[in-house]
Amino acid sequence: MSDSDNRLDPDALLRIIDNEEKNSREAKLRIFLGMSAGVGKTYSMLRAAHQKLKEGVDVVIGAAVTHGRAETEALLAGIPSLPLKKVNHRGTSLEELDIDAILERKPKLVVVDELAHSNIPGSRHEKRYQDVLELLDAGIDVYTALNVQHLESRKDSVEAITGIKIRETVPDSILERASLVELVDIAPTELLKRLKEGKVYLGDKANRAAENFFKEDRLTALREIALRMTAERVDQDLQRMATTRKETSPWQTNERLLVAISHSPYSERLIRATRRLAYNLEAPWIAIHVDTGIVLNDTDQAQLIKNLNLARELKAELITTTEVDVSAAIRRVCRMKNVTQVIVGRPTKRWFRDVIEGGTLLDRLVRESIEVDVHVIRQDGVSIYQPSLKDEVLRYRSETGFVKYGYTLCFLILIALVSGLINPLIGYRAVGFVFLLAVLIVGMFGSLGAVIFSAILSAFIWNFFFIPPTMKLIISSPDDIILCISFFVVAVITGFLTNRIRFHEQLIRVREERTNFLYEILQDIAYSHGKSDFLNKVIRRVGNLLQADCGVILKSPEGELIFDETTSYSIVLDEKDRAVALWSFQNQKKAGWSTDTLAQSNALYMPLSGYTETIGIFVFQPHKKSRKLDLEQENLLISILRQLGISIERHFLSKRLAETQRLKDSEQLYQTLLNSISHELRTPLTAILGTASNLDDEKMVNDRAYLKGVSHSLQEAGDRLNRVIENLLDMSRLSSGILSLKLEWNDFSDLIGVVIKKNSKLLSKHKLKISTPQEMVLIKLDFRLMEHAISNILLNAVMYSPPETEIKINLKKEDMKLIFEVEDEGLGIPEEAISKIFDKFYRVAGTPAGGTGLGLSIVKSIIELHKGTVQFENRKPHGACFRIELPLEESPKVPEEIDS
Amino acid sequence: MIKDEIRILVIDDEPAIRNILRASLEPHGYKIEEAVSGQQGLSKSSDFHPHLILLDLGLPDIDGLNILKELRKWTRIPIIILTVTDNESTKVQLLDAGADDYLTKPFGTKELLARVRVGLRTHGLVEATPLFQSGHLQVDLNQRKVKVKDIIVHLSNTEFEVLALLVRDQGKVVPQALIMKKVWGVLAEDQNHYLRIYINQIRKKIEENPSQPKHIITEPGVGYRLV
Repeated sequence: MSDSDNRLDPDALLRIIDNEEKNSREAKLRIFLGMSAGVGKTYSMLRAAHQKLKEGVDVVIGAAVTHGRAETEALLAGIPSLPLKKVNHRGTSLEELDIDAILERKPKLVVVDELAHSNIPGSRHEKRYQDVLELLDAGIDVYTALNVQHLESRKDSVEAITGIKIRETVPDSILERASLVELVDIAPTELLKRLKEGKVYLGDKANRAAENFFKEDRLTALREIALRMTAERVDQDLQRMATTRKETSPWQTNERLLVAISHSPYSERLIRATRRLAYNLEAPWIAIHVDTGIVLNDTDQAQLIKNLNLARELKAELITTTEVDVSAAIRRVCRMKNVTQVIVGRPTKRWFRDVIEGGTLLDRLVRESIEVDVHVIRQDGVSIYQPSLKDEVLRYRSETGFVKYGYTLCFLILIALVSGLINPLIGYRAVGFVFLLAVLIVGMFGSLGAVIFSAILSAFIWNFFFIPPTMKLIISSPDDIILCISFFVVAVITGFLTNRIRFHEQLIRVREERTNFLYEILQDIAYSHGKSDFLNKVIRRVGNLLQADCGVILKSPEGELIFDETTSYSIVLDEKDRAVALWSFQNQKKAGWSTDTLAQSNALYMPLSGYTETIGIFVFQPHKKSRKLDLEQENLLISILRQLGISIERHFLSKRLAETQRLKDSEQLYQTLLNSISHELRTPLTAILGTASNLDDEKMVNDRAYLKGVSHSLQEAGDRLNRVIENLLDMSRLSSGILSLKLEWNDFSDLIGVVIKKNSKLLSKHKLKISTPQEMVLIKLDFRLMEHAISNILLNAVMYSPPETEIKINLKKEDMKLIFEVEDEGLGIPEEAISKIFDKFYRVAGTPAGGTGLGLSIVKSIIELHKGTVQFENRKPHGACFRIELPLEESPKVPEEIDS
Repeated sequence: MIKDEIRILVIDDEPAIRNILRASLEPHGYKIEEAVSGQQGLSKSSDFHPHLILLDLGLPDIDGLNILKELRKWTRIPIIILTVTDNESTKVQLLDAGADDYLTKPFGTKELLARVRVGLRTHGLVEATPLFQSGHLQVDLNQRKVKVKDIIVHLSNTEFEVLALLVRDQGKVVPQALIMKKVWGVLAEDQNHYLRIYINQIRKKIEENPSQPKHIITEPGVGYRLV
């Protein structure tokens, strides 16, 4: 084998690394799997718990059902156990796993028996396995027990073997979540023996069922299922290890499966079968539902949702699409997703539909898609429901039942009457065209059923009343026979085509509406002033469309939901609602109405997530509670929430970034303040104190020249102190972020004048050369801030260039930009330091004492606040040049003045 | 004018500032009285009958702005505020509340004396005329004439109106909002670019070096002052 063949598939490796990382981080689930009750699952589980306890692990029993078996009960001793929660349900007090107590106690490991148990209505979750998943998410290891019959994918087989209807099931995906599946096995004969000896006590209720259940042949069959299950699991583990050990896996496939599901209960079987196939092939699988526009009754709708949920639970990728032609839709998805195998159900009796649709789905798939394998799933002796002709006809009723057929009937009678009137004028053959027109019209407005109905009826009317011999269903002339038959065929086909075109248009419209809606929401977000603004808009829009009250609860920077600032119009959350919202937020799963969790709630709570984290909760309170959220609506809601979440997160992130930067800056500022106090403040103070004490000396006081010198040095020291303080104040103001720019129109040359006047004393030693344009430069800026920036640049030039040299100040206006330059004839700045001179507290090494290193960074901050840039370059042969560029706006017009 | 008749009340809690004010003003013949708190300042301003008050903004007992408002209820005597803040909106607020002028700490003696003189003049203690003369600049409000170096300079109506406002309060800072309101009306109060353009035009006509003006001084963010 070549080297490249031996190399690990990087994706596979990544998956393994991912999983291993998860395993070491995530809580572990250990499932004790048995073929039936009484094999000793609880016993083994408790023994394993004892073992852990001995190892020093913090173990707690959440729920353990011993069925009064002495050996098992003895094992309960020694392990701390949490009491069950008392729940009142319809007057009786029942006991349920106290998940909150466990979460609060937060042990390392918890024992929860009977994974398939269904919780009392009104509990947080419908099923116990959901409680277990939540515990795992909270980082608590779980030991649990499960009988193989409760596994969703094995339910059918077990039902077939035992003939007992199984109500409590857990999804197969829980096995994948498990880090260890331990088979608790016992020979059926042994089990039966234990049963007879009374070692296995099943309770009075169970006795009768047990009589049926505990037969050797049945137990053997169940045992086989359990063993096979475990073997599959072991195979997978092996394969996983093989991949890491750089051995090419014999199982690696590029298969991708697709199962077509409908509202038929048979689809459940298809889904399970596909899942099993996919599991064995290690292949991803897709479940597709094609909405052909047929109106479903409530039971069918419920079955469809059940099927889709099942597929989702079994980790299928779910696709729902709307299209008239199921086969075409499936082929499209197959091409899109590179599907290699398609699983469909056995075709049912279809009566006339084969003619209309050009064959069954299976026929068409086999005929038209050559690039995929098509599987038809066996029926295992369970009879599939074969629709009667009545059922087939019922498929074609419209939303309003059969009322529309009544309208069609009336319409045709009207046409018949009119035709009767004009028959003498145009002849019975032309009447046929009138009827054809009528069928077309029905096709434009009515359902497909109505088209067929009207085609048949009009053929009948035409024949009976118009084609000679009239008032008889027989046709005398062979021409008329051909005419009548072709009329019927043409009527059906054209009516059918018209109807289909209309349906297509409807579909396109619906899609377009949805796209538009999403687009509008994006617009809302893009063109809003702030977070609360777009939240309000989106909430109102979604509420109007889906007929519900909506709200958004965001989390605080500390990560807690801020209920007091709920954005909503009419939702008031009480304690209970808040608890649901909180649960949804903490578990990052939807909860409340229309879900499996806390379904008693009035509203649906969905987590709002950005790219990295959950940032809040979206509350959806429907106006009519009875209805479940339908698929289309839920999909729409999910897409909206995704957009909303990302937008809000972006908002949060930018705010947080600014906050961190501010903290960092102020910390450094504080540090430097302390450092510079020693030097920058103390130096001038020393000068002041020194001269002041000298003034005590009488000899000195009488010396005029000396006094003048004292006055000068005092003033200089004072000025220097003042400059330091001003810079520090500026800096803290700028980095605090609370500073608001007071932008006003100002004359930039005026600003230069003010700066020069203010610093005239310091500038007096240099030759100033100022050049300003003839035309006035009006610019919107904060005068006081810009004054400080310009001052700092000028003082910088003064400080770093020798006296009597020239300082040039240039002001220019160049294509909507203001350019301000200060050039000196000093030494310039070493090239390597140029990139840092605008950093806070940076001082070029070897420069004379004085200065905090803040001046230029203040300049930069101020210029950037004005959306401008400041650059530095060395001049040739020597000297420095600072160049500020500020964007200019169109200068405002001044009202014309009539000069008198 | 006999200077020792002029009484100035200094309201400031800092002894150092009171000392320096006394030392700067007394040699020029002003009579100084000191108040160390807002309460004392209020009572002394009625007992001492000052001609001018120097009021510190940061007093321990009453906020300077409130003292200003309290005083303005019954007297028009000039009040000059001493403040450490460099914030222009505070300055505008003070002027709106009736302060005649302000001095930002640290300030020099020359500046202090100039402000005191201006304050006294506008209140009739130093004679005010419709004539303004400073250096080469002459403005006659009655005859609407402006002369530079004795040569008549032609100003447009609006230009003259702006200049006249400054002349009437000569030496004092005139808030820009006030100029905008009086010349262009209430609606134009935000359109301060009008004012910038006109000040620029006036300077070109009356200043020797318009880029370093000697007469119309810009008070950043607050307004203009004619000297």
